[in-house]
Amino acid sequence: MLERDVIQTRGFRNIEEDGEVTGFQIRVRSDYYRGVWLSQLRPGKVVVDGHLYPKEEVTWEINGKDYTAAEMAQAGDVFWRITDAAVLKIKKPGGLAQGFHDVEVRFAASCSYMPPMFDSFDENGDSLSFNGGTYKKERMLIV
Amino acid sequence: MEKKIRRGVAIYSYSGEYGRSMDLEDCFRDMQDMGATGIEILANSHIDSYPELSDEYLEKWNRLCSTYGIEPAEYGHWIDTRLFRDRDMNLEEARKKLINDFRIAHSLGFRILRTKMGVIDEKLAPVENWREIIRSVLPEAEKYDVVMCPEIHLTTVLSDRFVSDYVDFIQETGTKNFGLNIDLSVFQNRFDVPGVVVYNPEQKHSEPEEIIPLLPYVKCIHAKFNKMDDEFNELTIPYKEVLEILIRHGWEGYLLSEYEGERKDEPGYVSQELRKHHIMMKRILGY
Repeated sequence: MLERDVIQTRGFRNIEEDGEVTGFQIRVRSDYYRGVWLSQLRPGKVVVDGHLYPKEEVTWEINGKDYTAAEMAQAGDVFWRITDAAVLKIKKPGGLAQGFHDVEVRFAASCSYMPPMFDSFDENGDSLSFNGGTYKKERMLIV
Repeated sequence: MEKKIRRGVAIYSYSGEYGRSMDLEDCFRDMQDMGATGIEILANSHIDSYPELSDEYLEKWNRLCSTYGIEPAEYGHWIDTRLFRDRDMNLEEARKKLINDFRIAHSLGFRILRTKMGVIDEKLAPVENWREIIRSVLPEAEKYDVVMCPEIHLTTVLSDRFVSDYVDFIQETGTKNFGLNIDLSVFQNRFDVPGVVVYNPEQKHSEPEEIIPLLPYVKCIHAKFNKMDDEFNELTIPYKEVLEILIRHGWEGYLLSEYEGERKDEPGYVSQELRKHHIMMKRILGY
């Protein structure tokens, strides 16, 4: 089962490729009560210790496959289930340092059965969003 | 007395716990305690292989229904017309997803579908081409023996134009594969009860008797509840009046409890509220 917080403790770590640390990953569950097609997802910023990574720098792994924000916007046939976490990957040579980190992830989902104005989403800000928001978790540990 | 009205649960009610502190079997277990006999699932939430139907899920589903004595009552699905940021879903895309849902629903044993359409305004008026979309899949709905039911929900009221448009559509086409799901939120007349989530305190509501002319088309009812007291009264919706009308007019179908109040993510909280709600319904129904 998933953890109650959107940002999961399990799944937060650096990414190693061919013996080299190339970046880090954050695992999140959906905060919406139903799964969505990736084209309905509105990815936003990721902030780690005050540094903002815009959505263009974040790759989402869903169902074992990597998607950029632009690819997700066209993926009307790929589904993100609420019981499956997504892994957000960010390139950063050397990764995050050992120790505590404050993490924020922002995303939302478009909802066709609510008035269209509810779909507005400010991807790098923190305005209220109907089906989403900015999720924060402090003192996450990199081993 | 013939028990035409049956009690069930829309497991949307557990959405604050589902996948975290509850799984699908926990929902069935909880329902059995209340004597609920019908379940509404949301395809996009509760089928762990969606948009496919895996053999494993089908096997689990059949086992759960038979172990806990629960029948499929309603299958919730969506026509997500705003599928893309830059354009609406086209007719072919809508058809493909709808027919996929018909196929899955039929395999799981559902006949009644809650078909949630995309909307264009604050009154929740459906997309302008809803007739075209629905008409285009009527042959497949007949083939899979399913009835699509748009959900009439607050902020809509029963006298809104598009409710009569749905009835006109049924009469004009003569279809048996389109009906209505009434959510009892349309009768909510209290917006000042502490602990109730209120978006608009000036919200309009329908009177209980307004449901009477619609009853022949109502295939399922979402027994929405916001707040129960410890005397087993719902504090925002005139349940007794509405249920007595259903009994008097011989309406047949499921009342599916749907909790829309606070503290949904507190483990065990919704289960307790559902029990209160079912005591209330049992008392009013008399069985």
